[in-house]
Amino acid sequence: MVVTDQDLQYFVTALKNVTKYDFTEYSDKSLKRRLLKVLTDFNLDLSGLITNIKLDNCFAEKIVKEITVNTTELFRDPPVWHLLRSRVLPRFKNNKTINIWHAGCSTGQEVYSMMILLNEMDMLDRAKIFATDINTDVLDTSKRGVYKYRFNIGYLDNFDKVIKQNPLNFEEYNEVPYEKYFDIDKLKDTITIKKFLTDKPIFRKHDLVKDGNLFFAKFDLILCRNVIIYFNYNLQNKVFELFSSNLYPKGCLLLGMHETILGPWANKFEKIGQAYVKK
Amino acid sequence: MKFTQNLNLNKRILLFIIPIVVILYAASGFTLYKFSTKRVMLVAQKEMDVLLNNLSETIQIVENQTESGFSNSDYQILKPLFNQRAYYKTDFPFLIDNSGRYLIHAFKEGQKVPSAILQQLKSTSNKQGVISYFDYKDGSKQDMFFYFKFVDQYKGYLGVSVNKDEIFESISQNKTMLIIIVIFASLIFLFAINYILKPIVSIINQVNAAVNSLASGKTTDKIDYQNNDEIGQIVNSMNNLIDSLKHKADFANEIGENHLDAEFINLGEQDLLGNSLINMRESLKLAKIEESKRKQEDETRNWATFGLAKFGDILRQNNDNLTKLADNVIQNLVSYLNANQGGLFIYNDENTENKHLELISAFAYNRKKFFEKRILLGEGLVGTCAVEKETIYLKEIPTEYIRITSGLGEAVPTSLLIVPLKLEDSIFGAIEIASFNEFKNNEIEFVEKVGESISSTLSSVKNSIRTNLLLEQSQQQREEMSAQEEEMRQNMEEMQATQEEMARKTIEMEGMTAAINEALLYCELGEDGSIYNPNNNILALLGSTRLETEGRNIVEFIHSEEKGVFQGLWSDVMNGNSSRSTMHWVNKNGIDLYIVVNISPALDDSGSIFKIYLLGQDVTESKLIELRAQKQAVELEESLLEIRVEQELNEQREDEMKALLQALDHTCLVSELEPSGLITYINNKNTEVLGSKKEEIEGKFIADLDYIAKNKPAEFKKFWDNLSSGKKQSREFSLTINDKEVWISEVYTPIINEHNQVTKIINIGFNISEIKQKEKEMSALVAELEILRKKK
Ligand SMILES: C[S@@+](CC[C@H](N)C(=O)[O-])C[C@H]1O[C@@H](n2cnc3c(N)ncnc32)[C@H](O)[C@@H]1O
Repeated sequence: MVVTDQDLQYFVTALKNVTKYDFTEYSDKSLKRRLLKVLTDFNLDLSGLITNIKLDNCFAEKIVKEITVNTTELFRDPPVWHLLRSRVLPRFKNNKTINIWHAGCSTGQEVYSMMILLNEMDMLDRAKIFATDINTDVLDTSKRGVYKYRFNIGYLDNFDKVIKQNPLNFEEYNEVPYEKYFDIDKLKDTITIKKFLTDKPIFRKHDLVKDGNLFFAKFDLILCRNVIIYFNYNLQNKVFELFSSNLYPKGCLLLGMHETILGPWANKFEKIGQAYVKK
Repeated sequence: MKFTQNLNLNKRILLFIIPIVVILYAASGFTLYKFSTKRVMLVAQKEMDVLLNNLSETIQIVENQTESGFSNSDYQILKPLFNQRAYYKTDFPFLIDNSGRYLIHAFKEGQKVPSAILQQLKSTSNKQGVISYFDYKDGSKQDMFFYFKFVDQYKGYLGVSVNKDEIFESISQNKTMLIIIVIFASLIFLFAINYILKPIVSIINQVNAAVNSLASGKTTDKIDYQNNDEIGQIVNSMNNLIDSLKHKADFANEIGENHLDAEFINLGEQDLLGNSLINMRESLKLAKIEESKRKQEDETRNWATFGLAKFGDILRQNNDNLTKLADNVIQNLVSYLNANQGGLFIYNDENTENKHLELISAFAYNRKKFFEKRILLGEGLVGTCAVEKETIYLKEIPTEYIRITSGLGEAVPTSLLIVPLKLEDSIFGAIEIASFNEFKNNEIEFVEKVGESISSTLSSVKNSIRTNLLLEQSQQQREEMSAQEEEMRQNMEEMQATQEEMARKTIEMEGMTAAINEALLYCELGEDGSIYNPNNNILALLGSTRLETEGRNIVEFIHSEEKGVFQGLWSDVMNGNSSRSTMHWVNKNGIDLYIVVNISPALDDSGSIFKIYLLGQDVTESKLIELRAQKQAVELEESLLEIRVEQELNEQREDEMKALLQALDHTCLVSELEPSGLITYINNKNTEVLGSKKEEIEGKFIADLDYIAKNKPAEFKKFWDNLSSGKKQSREFSLTINDKEVWISEVYTPIINEHNQVTKIINIGFNISEIKQKEKEMSALVAELEILRKKK
């Protein structure tokens, strides 16, 4: 089966008409693959899918959830966390409060990574953490903070790299026990984030395409990693505008490892490594 | 005779018989009457003949004694003879001559006989006879007979007239009699007919009704008729028919009510209905027997199915608790079979060394070896049953084997049933049931069936824990697998999306680099500041070739004044920050260059610099312009400063003025005029004092309103000319307003702009009526005002 541009357009239009979601400005290559996946998973052809979407709002919602890609990890891309640790977070060392927004937080690993790092830097109690995603299922997982253990054994490696070691100084080694932040149950195959962490963040459903700023606050740090790879240039710029206007001056925006601001919003930011600092 | 068909028999008979009777009587009456009339007439004739003969004889005798012919003596002798009424009351005999004149008559002598008689007499040749005629006497017509005899001697006739009625008087008496007799006889006849016919007809009617109701399917009562005549016979057979039908109906009813043994005697071989009724009864009897057989079979089957369902339920409900399950099963099984006691053994093979049957539930059990709850395979009846996997059914039970305790004490049961619990080939246990009743085949089958269900339940109960575990695990694994699969797929997607994004970026970057190369100055710098990879733009600007340039230090091109600034910038870069500034360079040919440069270090993961980029733009031209502008700006700024001071002063003054004007407005009459004399504004005080309204004044020309302009045009002209040329004018005048003299003193002040033109004239007036004496003070104030004005 092949999904054509036309098919994609039908699908996106149907979704847009029935739900509040607008995927028009998503990157079409990726969206096509997701659509193909949904069609095979549900064993439907396009017209069947569209009919179902039109008939059943819940189904439409489900499809949207199927469409999103929720890949994430604890301390994903350790160099970014090093950067945060050594050059970004220290900027807020003297702030009374630090507002952090994780846009597209997926199942929450990024949020908890950030909090663990903040805690290690003694900044957690001053931090206000906001985390949003378009997909309420992943938000539920986020709130629970329970992840598969075996499948995600890499989490602990990352933890070691970011928390225990210091790349700038190989001599340095901080013995931070995992139990400080997780309960690991090998039998149940779970890794559970401690309650003092899961209690803190505010998780909300939020659509970057439409919803603007939910929190009536400005932010010191916005993380929106590996989300805009699914957006086209136009939508990326819209999102940059949103972030730019909701950052404090000198506030930081952190994109994914391979995401960059090009175009009109580039000169509104200065770069510190991966991080963009609002001028 | 159609209509008679509709009459009932009774009426029909009457209809025919009555006319016949009437005709019969009439005919006999008629002949009788005829006979008697003739006889009466004959009698009368004879009598009359006798009378007339006697008379004629007498006449002869008389004639013989007298002269011939009729003479007086004859008359004398004969007269008495004719004077008596002879024989009939109406008649008097008489003698007439041949002309018809009465010769002798009791009272009609001299008269003539009726002409009718005479005519007939003359036309007859008879000497003796009778003539019938009509006499009209007293106006009524009378039927008369006239008897006559010719008298030779007198050539006349002897005659007698008799009324017919008189002759037939006797007969007519007879006639009435006859009629009475006829009527009487008829009545008797009628009565007789009724008497005879009525019962017959009523019987026929009854028979008819009975047949009718039989025909319409009803039964009737028997007909009551005693006589043993033909009708009696009909009624009899009728009654027989009714009887037999009733009998059959009763019989059919009985059959209908399923009393198949009801009494019934049929009327013989020919009795079709009776025979078929009997046949019917027989087949019904057969059906009934069959039915009850089937019912019984059904019952057994139902009993089995219901039982199986029941045990199915029991097994389903308790399949998590083995003992409870067994208790329930055995208890229900014993009572369902109407047996007396039972036990359930389970085959325990957990321990391969010690496989045995274990009694896990018992009901009213009094097994002798009850304490022996464990039975080895092959041991005793139960053990044998388990080994052979065959049902054991005993009707003779070893006395010591088992006893049933009941209200009557202990007794050996009559029958014992041991059924293995097996599924396919494996054994799960056995059921033992004892009873005082024998077990029927179907019951044994039933127990075997229940046994199968129990076995399968046991097997699943036994397996369930293990299976459940396995199932759960595999289910979980499946779910996990699919979750992981989905996650992997998402990872793939993410990688792919990332790659695509990067590819997009690269294209854009390449475009950008090209654009940079085209438009900007570009080179890379070493950590010491040496130049690498300079692009053509920068080479052209520096006025040297690539060879000359590469490897040289950037500092060499920097204007000596700015070398210090660059050092600062460079250390910033070395700290990992990109920096930007406009720098003054000097190229190889000594030309001043102004360049906006951006120097950014590229950091690796550990934050150390691995490359430094320099991007720059030649802004020399604009810089020069800027420099020039800067110089101008300094000058401008100085004058601007002055202007600002002035402005501030002005603002201050204006404020003061504003306050003053406000005060003025309250005390003075203020108006504004254009140089043309058009009044553009008057204040409230003005209208208050002068009594005219704003709109009457504003927009008008002073020349049209002013008292002096109207009355002393020359003076006004001079006044206005002075004003127009910029000279302040004042005047004083009085008006009478509301009978009051008002003194106004006015000062007209022309406002002059920087080109010495009068732009506006302001008139300030004072009401000096009461304070004319304060004129001096006022003019002082005006003078002060004037000073202020001037300042502005
Ligand atoms: C690949 S995950 C990124 C998770 C996390 N930030 C990280 O880098 O590990 C992308 C997330 O973006 C969310 N997302 C996609 N479209 C979105 C939108 N329009 N508004 C908000 N979230 C969106 C998806 O639901 C998904 O959870």
